[in-house]
Amino acid sequence: MPANESHPMAGALPPDDGRPPQLTRRGFLSKGAVALAGASAVAAALSPLRELKPGDIPSLEQFLQKHYKEMTADEKHAAIARIAREVAARYGVQPNVADPPPLSGVEFVYALNISRCIGCRKCVYACVAENNPSRAPEIQYIRVLKMEKGSINIETADHHYDPPVVPGPDSYYMPVQCHQCAKPPCVKVCPVEATWQEPDGITVIDYDWCIGCRYCAAACPYWARRFNFAEPQIPAEKLNPDMSYLSNRPRPKGVMEKCTFCLQRTRVGRMPACVEVCPTGSRKFGNVLDPESEVAYILKHKRAFVLKEDVGTLPRFFYYFDERGSRYHEPIAPIQPEPGGGA
Amino acid sequence: MSEPAPGGKPVAGSLPRFVVPLILFALAGGLWANPWHFVSPVPPPINVPAWATDITPVRKPKLSPEYKVAGYSYRCSDCHKLFPSSPEANDSPFQHRDVVLRHGINTRCFNCHHLTNRDAYVDDWGHEIPATTPQLLCGKCHGPVYRDWLSGAHGRTEGYWDKSRGPQMRRKCIECHDPHQPPFPPMPPAPPPNTLRMGRQDYPHKPAAIKNPLHVSRGESDAEASDAPALPGPVNGKP
Amino acid sequence: MRRYLHFLWACFRLSFVGDWRYHAWMTVLTVIALTGLYAYCQQLVHGLQTTGMTDQVSWGAYIANFTYLVGLAAAAAMLVIPVYVYRNLQLHDVVIFGELLAVSVIVMCLLFVNVDLGRPDRFMHLFWRFNFPLSMLTWDVIALNGYLLLNLHICGYLIYSAYCGRTPSKAFYIPFVFIAIVWAVSIHTVTAFLYVGLGGRPFWNSAIIAPRFLASAFAAGPSFIILTLQIVRRFTAHYVADDALLTLRRIVQVAMIMNIFLLGCELFVEFYTDTAHVASARYLYFGLHGRHALVPWIWTAVLFDLLALALLVLPASRGLPALNLACVLSIVGIWIEKGMGLIVPAFIPTPLGEIVEYQPTVNEILVCFGIWAFGLLLYTVFVRVSVPVLAGEITAPGARPAAGAH
Repeated sequence: MPANESHPMAGALPPDDGRPPQLTRRGFLSKGAVALAGASAVAAALSPLRELKPGDIPSLEQFLQKHYKEMTADEKHAAIARIAREVAARYGVQPNVADPPPLSGVEFVYALNISRCIGCRKCVYACVAENNPSRAPEIQYIRVLKMEKGSINIETADHHYDPPVVPGPDSYYMPVQCHQCAKPPCVKVCPVEATWQEPDGITVIDYDWCIGCRYCAAACPYWARRFNFAEPQIPAEKLNPDMSYLSNRPRPKGVMEKCTFCLQRTRVGRMPACVEVCPTGSRKFGNVLDPESEVAYILKHKRAFVLKEDVGTLPRFFYYFDERGSRYHEPIAPIQPEPGGGA
Repeated sequence: MSEPAPGGKPVAGSLPRFVVPLILFALAGGLWANPWHFVSPVPPPINVPAWATDITPVRKPKLSPEYKVAGYSYRCSDCHKLFPSSPEANDSPFQHRDVVLRHGINTRCFNCHHLTNRDAYVDDWGHEIPATTPQLLCGKCHGPVYRDWLSGAHGRTEGYWDKSRGPQMRRKCIECHDPHQPPFPPMPPAPPPNTLRMGRQDYPHKPAAIKNPLHVSRGESDAEASDAPALPGPVNGKP
Repeated sequence: MRRYLHFLWACFRLSFVGDWRYHAWMTVLTVIALTGLYAYCQQLVHGLQTTGMTDQVSWGAYIANFTYLVGLAAAAAMLVIPVYVYRNLQLHDVVIFGELLAVSVIVMCLLFVNVDLGRPDRFMHLFWRFNFPLSMLTWDVIALNGYLLLNLHICGYLIYSAYCGRTPSKAFYIPFVFIAIVWAVSIHTVTAFLYVGLGGRPFWNSAIIAPRFLASAFAAGPSFIILTLQIVRRFTAHYVADDALLTLRRIVQVAMIMNIFLLGCELFVEFYTDTAHVASARYLYFGLHGRHALVPWIWTAVLFDLLALALLVLPASRGLPALNLACVLSIVGIWIEKGMGLIVPAFIPTPLGEIVEYQPTVNEILVCFGIWAFGLLLYTVFVRVSVPVLAGEITAPGARPAAGAH
């Protein structure tokens, strides 16, 4: 003990001679007051938790649920039943939650004709209607870029164009969504393997496994991944009841989501929603392993390219263009009035 | 000197005993009152027009030779049996006034329509093409597009990609293209994105210090390009 | 075991003892920490929309602070090199403060990562499916937790030995000290690799980021310790030699020179080559398409760094006032350039060219302050406890203070 009594350390602790320390009433009260004040301050700091709803706290079943790849068939059924129950309770709609397995001999490829895309954004909203993302805050998997003709510089693209009509005369349009890359950087960086690539090429997310670290969002070169910053708000009348575990069942707060090539549709043979709605038929989808498919033809005969090829992700989403532009705002041949023609 | 216990009798320069509990109780009261209660940054969801998710094609053409007027339905040949037409016609003075022929250099009605059997179209040798297969007509000039359409690279495909599991529907040419004004008509776009905390998105792109050769031929800066499309080609044969 | 519990109890009691300045400091920190906890509870209830982060800028203040603090933690243990490798005995006594700082800073890092998670309740998923070695985050988890355990062991062993009146056995801590030297470099390299390994973010995808991390960490960390040691000298009985401060000054000097040099390298590569990949750097330093929120920040950071360097190079900084100013400048400057100046610009513009600026919300800032306050609280308690124990003033009942305790 320092002999200097004015030193801050003076009188720090009494010499410990094995006897229990003496406690006076003053000491007890003042220590008690501090302890009580401290405890009440901690309780007040935790008080916002009183606004937690029962659905926010995961149930024991959810807490113990395994990773999708480790669940047995029974566990998957139980998980699907739980999801159906929760959706019915929350939205008043009885959903049909499936778990379609990947089809064998199938590798999905997407092709988009930039000669034909007019930038109407119907694909964006068809996807939203099909995949049950949050409307507030707004989540859209597809982002349509208005590009300057002659340039593929994405930095000069306009995402927020809103002219009276599309297409504009000096632009072409490139919708971007998840490219389901063959070498996906998002899968590489996920610390808990919540996202992985399935045999048919679709990169999926187990929404009940994701911890929400958003490393995959930082890694994606195409800005294809979306995060639920808030509890998703979906109007009950707009809920699509045909769901699947890995794609369009309503997601909880705090997890990632993205385009899954509508696997609830495509794994039973249907076209994705964006393909069906495109008014100009710019979107093409199919099994590239089938030599008769549209996408096989396109990759063989059309001038196809991928975005950001230098990043080495090997996307399964190709942009192609026809030999000649389709929007002939300037006639190819000069117009000559026919000699003696006209009504 | 000794003292009973730590936190007991204050040593030189200790705080009065009530200060710390007072501050902590004040903090507790303050936090319980929720001073920074949450205000949602989420804007209200935008109104999505119903047409934005509609998959029906832009046109509902008839694939059979019918003409409806004044509540009656006629076959085309009902009238066109009676009156001959000039093979060089590119306009109709009385009926079919809604038809404006603006098909590029294709300025004659009878390039496509059969001269004597108006229920059919005509091919390069003057033979009939039935009204149910307009693609054979379009394909007689638009060869590359027709080949693309046959293999699926052009035109809409709906239904199932896997034909063994369900029906696949390919749309025919005139279900998207008006045969008399084929360029796909401009349409208003669906609303632009409005994501969380997006901020202003109307900052102009300043023209770069070094002029991009890409823009020299246009002779204009990026921001000035007008968005109004120009319609192509001559109208009813008149340039 | 009973003695260990007695030791913990003695530490707990001791942490409440002090004069009014100590109590005031601890109360202020407690208030800030609890306010941070309150703000975090808001975030738990409403989700990460309480922060300023978006899909476009998906990492913000939390990861910025995390990055900075990993550097601080790495540098804190680098005091060990002069002592154990170069046998610089002037620093021998103060190594413990560096290691204790490392412990409290690592705790802050882990807290920052946890508050950034969208689903902290699923934290244990890391144990069931661990994407090692592909995901750099898994390397980071191992590195940070291992570093925490290493330093806890070293500090705990030394302090507990002093408490028991035993001379610490070299075999139980010297090997760990050397491992900690290597591990300190690795934690910051691994954290740098988190960012560097992403091809979609050209602002980060550069080899210079990892060396720059280390250089700036070794400038900021020892600066922090210089300031801390002066506080220890002023408020406790522990003796801190001026030579210790001057050796640390030398470390900061060299590190800051390296940091500025590497900054120059980065600026040259970005702006001389002037490819489209320079968009993020252009946003940071000059603004892009009318958005320039970070421009004043980064130039302040560069100014602070240069001023700190100038001061450190001059002999005037052998005197404490100039040295302290240089330390504050380097701590703040490096916090800006490594935090907001590294994390946020990589997201602007997005890989698709959209520009959405980031501004931390009040809630986010409160959580950040809360974690910093909690870390400082921990560190204060550690110093408060370790000084008397190591000096032999607090010992187990029946034990005599060992001669030459630590």
